[in-house]
Amino acid sequence: MKDTIVQLLAACIGSFGFALVFGLHRRYLLPAALGGVLSWGTFLAAKAWIGTEFLPCLIASALAVLYSEAMARLLKTPATLFVTPSVLPLVPGGSLYYAMSSAVRGEMLAARAYGTTTLLYALAIAAGISFVVACRELRTKK
Amino acid sequence: MDITREDQIRLMNCMLDMGELLLDAGAEIGRVEDTLSRMGATYGAGRVDVFVITSLISVTMEFPDAEAMTETRRVRSSAQTDFYRVDKLNTISRRCCAEPMPVAELRAQLDAIAAGHKPFGVILAGSVIGGGSYAVFFGGTLCDALAAAFFAVVICQLQLYLGRTRVNTVASNLVISLLTGLGVGLCTAVFPALHMDKIIIGDIMLLIPGLAMTNAIRNMLVGDTISGVVRLAESLIWAAALAGGFMVALTIVNALH
Repeated sequence: MKDTIVQLLAACIGSFGFALVFGLHRRYLLPAALGGVLSWGTFLAAKAWIGTEFLPCLIASALAVLYSEAMARLLKTPATLFVTPSVLPLVPGGSLYYAMSSAVRGEMLAARAYGTTTLLYALAIAAGISFVVACRELRTKK
Repeated sequence: MDITREDQIRLMNCMLDMGELLLDAGAEIGRVEDTLSRMGATYGAGRVDVFVITSLISVTMEFPDAEAMTETRRVRSSAQTDFYRVDKLNTISRRCCAEPMPVAELRAQLDAIAAGHKPFGVILAGSVIGGGSYAVFFGGTLCDALAAAFFAVVICQLQLYLGRTRVNTVASNLVISLLTGLGVGLCTAVFPALHMDKIIIGDIMLLIPGLAMTNAIRNMLVGDTISGVVRLAESLIWAAALAGGFMVALTIVNALH
């Protein structure tokens, strides 16, 4: 439980930091930081419920994009501003690193496992975003 | 709104600048095409054809009773994400479409945006906060976060320096990840309480081409396939350069131990 709170807090501050790096205006910083909390919270909850990691990551990224679209409507600004900071906690920086370090140490089995995890996360994030974008396209083309 | 032929030429110039600024700041292809088409229509063009890929903008406008004009612009993107600019340009285009401003005023506003850069201090602060908190996020201690924050400053300075020398992104990612990896390795050798993996992971988050990759997939999905494929290939190569640099650094650190 303590770990979860630390992670959510770190995700919040992390997304805030990246929102600064991307040059977001002051009034968009808080929504961007909350987006990070939302996506990681969703991921953890879905993971506890479903058990695997691919589907929770997909759901979390889809929800993050929905949230970004809603914020964009509300604040009258492009949704891209919120999408990137929001999905950031899902980006598989950890497994990417462990894939590299295992490969360097010659532990090919571990490297392959971590590499696969990295790709699966990237695929899940992309699929989640694509799902929402596709739905929106269908709606606007009507 | 009807404008003179001279203004039409000036407007064309403004639109190309606007498109270049948007692309450079990290806006999606669809947004650039959409914005430019709307701008042209607002100023009375009967038909506006805009074609944008990551490295080129082409605009053709047909005004009533005048010859159609076409201009292209080669864009050398620096891939420096700046959403402050995207937001400002978006506001200008919104205002223009509601009530067109004189072309001279549009020119002045675009020049003002092009002149203003986002302050380096803000990027630095953001990187320090981002790198530090992601070290904790992936299971690091508070000391790891401080080390990651320190190396975030190093990365920022390197990016600033390499950005000035106009080195391409592949080379700069390779150099930055190699130097950061060596630095963190040295640091953890001196202070064994620090965790090398957590520190590097925190700083990797600063370098991963996440936005480029996300944009690539979005582009492909909404029909801008060419740009999507180009961006995806670009960002995969950047990620490979990043991994390459860190792997060389890790090999050297391992050999020294």
